[in-house]
Amino acid sequence: MTTAKWITLAAGTALALAAALQPSVADTSGKKIALSNNYAGNSWRQAMLKSWTKNGDAAVKAGVVAAADAFTTAENQVTEQAAQIQNMILQGYDAIVINAASPDALNGAVKEACDAGITVVSFDGIVTEPCAWRIAVNFKQMGKEEVIYLAKNMPEGGNLLEIRGLAGVFVDDEISAGIHEGAKENPQFKIVGSVHGDWAQDVSQKAVAGILPSLPEIAAVVTQGGDGYGAAQAFKAAGRPTPLIIMGNRQDELKWWKEQKDANGYKTMSVSIAPGVSTLAFWVAQQVLDGAEVPKDLTVPFLRVDQHDLEEKLAGTEVGGVANVEYSLDEAKKVIMGK
Amino acid sequence: MESAQNRLQAVSRLPWIWAFLAAFLVWLATIIFTQGQGSAQILSAALSFATFSVIVGIGQMYVITLGPGNVDLSIPATMTFAGAVSMKIMDTQDAMVLPGLVIALGCGAAVGTFNFGLIRALRIPPIIATLSSSFLVQSAAIAYGRGIKIKPPPMLAEFTTYRIAGVPLLAICVVGLAVLMGVVLHRTVYGRSVTAIGQNQRAAELAGISVGFIRFATYLLSAVLAGLCGYLLSGFSGGASLNMGAEYLLASIAVVVIGGTSVAGGFSNLPGLWGAALFMFLLVTMLNTFGLSAGFRLILTGVIIVGVITLAGGRKQS
Repeated sequence: MTTAKWITLAAGTALALAAALQPSVADTSGKKIALSNNYAGNSWRQAMLKSWTKNGDAAVKAGVVAAADAFTTAENQVTEQAAQIQNMILQGYDAIVINAASPDALNGAVKEACDAGITVVSFDGIVTEPCAWRIAVNFKQMGKEEVIYLAKNMPEGGNLLEIRGLAGVFVDDEISAGIHEGAKENPQFKIVGSVHGDWAQDVSQKAVAGILPSLPEIAAVVTQGGDGYGAAQAFKAAGRPTPLIIMGNRQDELKWWKEQKDANGYKTMSVSIAPGVSTLAFWVAQQVLDGAEVPKDLTVPFLRVDQHDLEEKLAGTEVGGVANVEYSLDEAKKVIMGK
Repeated sequence: MESAQNRLQAVSRLPWIWAFLAAFLVWLATIIFTQGQGSAQILSAALSFATFSVIVGIGQMYVITLGPGNVDLSIPATMTFAGAVSMKIMDTQDAMVLPGLVIALGCGAAVGTFNFGLIRALRIPPIIATLSSSFLVQSAAIAYGRGIKIKPPPMLAEFTTYRIAGVPLLAICVVGLAVLMGVVLHRTVYGRSVTAIGQNQRAAELAGISVGFIRFATYLLSAVLAGLCGYLLSGFSGGASLNMGAEYLLASIAVVVIGGTSVAGGFSNLPGLWGAALFMFLLVTMLNTFGLSAGFRLILTGVIIVGVITLAGGRKQS
């Protein structure tokens, strides 16, 4: 009733008055938000979609927004995702949240959406089109942090094996650049081998098993996430001592680490981006629709698991999932304000 | 002297010899680079991983032999689906290893039947039919597993990773499977019918071969082998994951072609599958060992594969 009255009143009064009143009223209850996602075929993406749905359904139920629908393209193709975004424009969504297949190839579709008055927020796989918001992770720092951890825990240094992600993807280049920068600053470490594991444990296992016989003793394996468990399997199959393997927050990796820790005091760390960043993207879109001032470039911290909180993080991670942090509206506001 | 030359010529006419030769040369280049370090372990690893490519390669080879347009693109999805379902049902129980195997094979059989249903009843070309069914199967695996990674029963993990004097037990079993499928291909009515259909479908029909039934059996075989591969790979790599089959789409076709089987159908080559699978693994290992950048590695992989196929194909015609 109050809303109806309010609208009648606003329509009857001058536009300027309405505009002056609006910022104090959080009215996004009629707004529709869509998620455009390019890929769903691994555990991280599944967790990301799950977080989105859980958070989005709750928001719809609470009347914060009218819809929070998720759409995933079948083929992980840029053209397909561009068409998907165009459909969303036609369907009248007020905001589109994107995990993009390419940082620049979707810019045309994103610009179209912006021109139609739609708020576009990209995360994880971000887009470079200036009209969109970007929620990025400092992947380079993430790679560097791995080597910094090693330098602290392995002062004598040693040989490193690097497992990279999917060749040609921006994230892979960034993390790898960070790792190499870290190794340069800590010359007691030498990267003696580098393979591409595509962030998948079976691919990593295969690649590591192939290169391992030709390598000298390995002190540690630096990774990008999703590949640690496969590396461990490959070392075991080759009958070599298990080195320190940096993990990537997947449940199978954390569980393996826990088993080793209980058995022989195995020490490592685990770092990745929390799939719940999709919920942060949701709230950023909601805040922009609400008229809040949101900087175009936001950075989210990565999620790190250490020796002391392994048990706690493992317990909170479902089987087959990824260690996660979901954002509430208040937490999202803190990130927006740079806290 | 002359007889030695004749023998050499006879050997070079075997289309599968080129894949083995290429595998050997790549291995040699690798161990020269490492100065002999790890030469045996590299071969052992190559045998382990080649095993999985060979399993799906056998099915794909039968399908491709059926003639132009026949290919099974649903192999990766079937592997993922069979792996996910069987791991979840076995739930790390040793007692469930055999029921799990039956379930994995059953998943394969269901997909194979569905594939052929699309091809036959709806008259969709195989390449489209198997591609679209792979979307459905992959989605089913995602809906069923939701990224779940359940460990295999210890007995299955032990079996798939067991080695006898460095030789993987599973590889020995799959060599046996390859021999068996070779006999089926060359010595049974079914196998000969597959080849006959690939050479000339109309002639095969007129000769009284039930083309529909043979094609059905072949798509079924390919999917069942994909199910088996998903089951074994899940055991080998510590659980089923949603993207575990992704690599095996191109791998299954590549080992068939590099192994000397004719893409146009009607002429197949089983021993070549092993040579090609070893070659594919050793090639990646060699380029990784050399420490080349990813872009350069991909280019070289392409160039070398084209080279081997041209060499093998060129000799065949002469």
